[in-house]
Amino acid sequence: MFPDRRRDLLFPTAGSVGLFAVLVGGALIYAAVLGGSAERLITAMFIDAIMVIGIQIYIGNTGVLSFGHIGFGAVAGYVFAIFAIDPERKARWIADAPAGLDQVQVSPIVATLIAVAVTLVVAVVVGIGLARSGAKSGAVAATVITLALLFVTHEVAINWTQLTGGNRAPLSFGIGDTLDSMLPILAVLLVAIVAARLFAQSRAGRLAKAAREDNLAARAMGVDPQVQQMAALLLSVAVVAVAASLRVYEIGNITPRFFFFEYTLLTLVMLIVGGRNSVTGAVVGVVVITAARELTRRLATEGYELFGLSLDAAAVDWIFREGLPTIGLGLAMLGFMIFRPNGLMNDWELDEWLARRWLRPQEPGRPTLGPIADGAAHSRARLEADGLTVDFGGFRALGSAGIVANVGEIVGLIGPNGAGKTTLVNVLTGIVAPTAGRVLVDSDDLTGEPSHEIARRGLVRTFQNLRLFSALSVRDNVEAAYLIAEAHRDGRSRPSIDELIAVAGLWDHRHRRADELDYGNSRRLELARAAAAAPTFLLLDEPTSGMSDAESLAMVEQVRTMAETIGAGVVVIDHDLNFITGICDRIYCLDRGAVIASGTPDEIHADPTVQAAYLGTAAPA
Amino acid sequence: MLEVERLTTRYGSISALRSVSISVGAGEVIGIIGSNGAGKTTLLNTVAGLLKPAGGRVELDGSDVTGWTPDRMLQAGVALVPEHRRIFTDLTVAENLRIGGVTVPTRERSSLLDEMVELFPVLGARHQTSAGYLSGGEAQQLAIARALMSKPRLLMMDEPSLGLAPVLVEVVFDLLATLRDRGRTLLVVEQNATRMLEVADRAYVLRSGEVVASGTGPELAASENLFDTFVGGRDSSSNGQGAQA
Amino acid sequence: MTELVQNIADGLGRGSIYALLALGVAVVFGVMHLLNFAHGELITVSGYAAYWAFITGWSWYLIAPLVVVVAIATSIAIEQVAFRWVRNAPDFTLLLTSFGVHFLIEAAFFMYVSAAVRSFDRPDWITKTFDVGGINFEVFDVVVIAVTLVTLGLTTLLLQRTMFGLSLRAAAEDFDTARLMGVRSDRVIRGAFALSGALAGIAAIFWLMRAGQTTPGAGLTPMLKGVLAALIGGLGSLRGAVMGGFALGLAEVLLRSRLPDSIAGLTDGVVFALIALLFIFRPQGFVTVAHAERV
Repeated sequence: MFPDRRRDLLFPTAGSVGLFAVLVGGALIYAAVLGGSAERLITAMFIDAIMVIGIQIYIGNTGVLSFGHIGFGAVAGYVFAIFAIDPERKARWIADAPAGLDQVQVSPIVATLIAVAVTLVVAVVVGIGLARSGAKSGAVAATVITLALLFVTHEVAINWTQLTGGNRAPLSFGIGDTLDSMLPILAVLLVAIVAARLFAQSRAGRLAKAAREDNLAARAMGVDPQVQQMAALLLSVAVVAVAASLRVYEIGNITPRFFFFEYTLLTLVMLIVGGRNSVTGAVVGVVVITAARELTRRLATEGYELFGLSLDAAAVDWIFREGLPTIGLGLAMLGFMIFRPNGLMNDWELDEWLARRWLRPQEPGRPTLGPIADGAAHSRARLEADGLTVDFGGFRALGSAGIVANVGEIVGLIGPNGAGKTTLVNVLTGIVAPTAGRVLVDSDDLTGEPSHEIARRGLVRTFQNLRLFSALSVRDNVEAAYLIAEAHRDGRSRPSIDELIAVAGLWDHRHRRADELDYGNSRRLELARAAAAAPTFLLLDEPTSGMSDAESLAMVEQVRTMAETIGAGVVVIDHDLNFITGICDRIYCLDRGAVIASGTPDEIHADPTVQAAYLGTAAPA
Repeated sequence: MLEVERLTTRYGSISALRSVSISVGAGEVIGIIGSNGAGKTTLLNTVAGLLKPAGGRVELDGSDVTGWTPDRMLQAGVALVPEHRRIFTDLTVAENLRIGGVTVPTRERSSLLDEMVELFPVLGARHQTSAGYLSGGEAQQLAIARALMSKPRLLMMDEPSLGLAPVLVEVVFDLLATLRDRGRTLLVVEQNATRMLEVADRAYVLRSGEVVASGTGPELAASENLFDTFVGGRDSSSNGQGAQA
Repeated sequence: MTELVQNIADGLGRGSIYALLALGVAVVFGVMHLLNFAHGELITVSGYAAYWAFITGWSWYLIAPLVVVVAIATSIAIEQVAFRWVRNAPDFTLLLTSFGVHFLIEAAFFMYVSAAVRSFDRPDWITKTFDVGGINFEVFDVVVIAVTLVTLGLTTLLLQRTMFGLSLRAAAEDFDTARLMGVRSDRVIRGAFALSGALAGIAAIFWLMRAGQTTPGAGLTPMLKGVLAALIGGLGSLRGAVMGGFALGLAEVLLRSRLPDSIAGLTDGVVFALIALLFIFRPQGFVTVAHAERV
């Protein structure tokens, strides 16, 4: 669950305490500056922080924009209120509540637990919906489902007056029954931060983040993100539910407006401004926006004399009025989306930064473990595809194509543009289902399986258009593939993440973001990441595309070394015959969807049908 | 007519075009050949204005048109038939043609439409059909006709024979020959090098974003190591400037 | 039976307004991939213009065209000020930008105009009904449906017969190739927003007539209906948006007549829930064409 105890358990917990200290420190500063009314503000800030952290757990780890989390908050808030308010009070608001709920009262802690439980049930249903829609269409559909949730909860809150009191008779606690100590809030806040960080560093969090960066590539490494995304959703909803209960308990009542559009805007702006991809971002966002909001509120309502400065009344009156905070939030949202979409913190996490400074492993030497050393069975594995046919509507992309490759070999696929090479690799790796034919690795029939399943069973690919997990570090890229392989590949020993990074020549760059690498290093990273998935066969789709001749030659060495290190067979597509003949043991040439020639590089080079395929044939006489 | 000098285009950190220089004279048919990934599409897209170059110049009849947007290039008389044709499948054949002439004044458009039907009879027959129902060959004709609607002085084509059955490939090259005979200036990227060299006056061979060979059609076609130059065989040098054919 | 026919008429009347709103949303989505949460603000702004005209003494014959003009101008202004900067941004950014713009406009009205409800008189024929074979029809519904059909007809003409409409459709299918043909991206996007504004303006006329008032928050509900209706039809499809609008209108009226009185107020909630379910089972809506991802 936690790949590296110190980095993923110890440091995050310590870092969380640090973030907690930041929040408390911010609060103390406000108290000093603002004096008397600070307590209200600070309490609200802490509760908002828990809420935003909860939202961050989902949006940050999955990349899906959710407008619905405050809707979950509505569910939790009302359940909490219904169970925690004493019956005498409830008789005034909801005398004929269903199931005798007007008679029930439990302690606030139990009420919170019930609220969490009920909200989680709703979350499971919504999560299933998100999984189904995410698979079929994109970001917009998932976001719309969350938006629908927000509106459904609002409508139910307004209209199901028997249970909620609606707008006319909002549920309220008695005076003196509300939360009076900050201790529970602080405790929950600390736990929330720790939970958010631990999730992000856990195996589930890492895989979710990989899928967030590039869903297709993640699946090609064997990740099926739906499980991790559901986990992120459930954890995030649990945190939101507790925050909502605290909010209701602290303020003392709940109305439908409480958990609707305005609160959604506030929490999302806090998250966006701070930086949605990190918990540090969430915390920073909460502190900054709380301060800004309070400042504008004061300017708007109390006067133009702040810190002894006195401003011209007429001019100021025009700007500083009620409603200014919302304008501020709207402008902040717009401004950041246009100029700095990743927020102030831009993915930076406090404990990750500390961990990098503290934990400095030595660069590993070349792994001594070769493929021959273990598992004779594995070292003789054979990939066999035959009769593969793919029809796209009326167009036959592949017609009865077949190749064979063995572990220890490097097999090439060449052919002119449109010959079907990428289609063949897409079929082998499950991105496209063939109309006919089979794909076998030894006796394992992989035909038609989804791509994450095929990757788990030994066929891993790279992409013609680079598909790295851009916002993740080099090491995190490789680690994501490594983690998945751990669960699904047989237990034979294999090179560690650090060893693979070293073999790829990326040791010095291991903490850099993947999108900061130059092109050659990016290609090497793709190779290392695919290798970390412990494939039996590596399928490389134009690994030298965009490279100069010199770089291509260097890639020959890279691929060979990597293949030997992990003991995999290689199938490589490329147009650069220099590269192909330099690296391959055997080559297949495709043209118009069929294999027209196969043999050794020399044979292929001299084959007139191959030359004709590339150069085209002369006009008929 | 067209002078491209040391054009360099990048995608992020990839240099797709490295200091490429070509020239196209009025009335000439110029071929750009080379295997995939060589930068051929990038070259045409940059000249057409879809991509901004990182360095170099593009001149049309002596005027600097480097970095001009596509609509300005069309006004200047440069049209592109893009790779994979990219016809609008939601629109009819007639509508595809009309949008091709969006930069042309309205009164000229209808006579141009008639000209296209004359040149491509099959399009006349399918005038009101949704373009999504066209076969590959018909789609290619539509794509070329659509580009011709803008009354270009220079017509650029990116792999017109891609994905077409051999019979249709013939149709395409016959069409190129017809256009050449009618005095059109063509800049054609093709993978089918042999056929292209038969039609072209001159051609350039691109590999890895650089020009590695150039010459007249017959010269290049007759060269012995064309295949090696094309694909980067074992004998050709690896710093880009291959032998002149 | 009579009740059913009346309900259908009623549903079509509502559905007409939703169809216009949905079409406006779909047009913008087609060219920019932007789901416009600020679409409803066009009604808010037009509503205040109508209020001003009303207290100045204008009749509805003048107020109606004013509403449309204001909606168009506002739509173009929003594009120029806010959406122009995020043109090629990822969906996440577009959604949040549009969300932010909604709040900005709403808050601006709250601050600079008034938080109070501004009422104006409805035209007298709103409440008139007439009888056909024993079935009672509202004049209003008939007018709305008629005007909507005419508007849809004119829009279809615009899209099918003019170069602008052709450019819009081409850009919606393949923006880059449309540019290659010489279509100016600035013009086509601005045109899409103008068209969207015009459609919202016409919807606004009837929305305001029925409501008889406007507030800063008036835009939320129409926006929601428009967005949901467009989604039902599938975001890529203009035809689908219109059908989605009518479907939504009918669903609302029929559901309301079937639900027991105590939870009749939940109609909207039920409709939202149904739409959410729709998205679970058929995320692409009913009419769209999906576009495959290129590997």
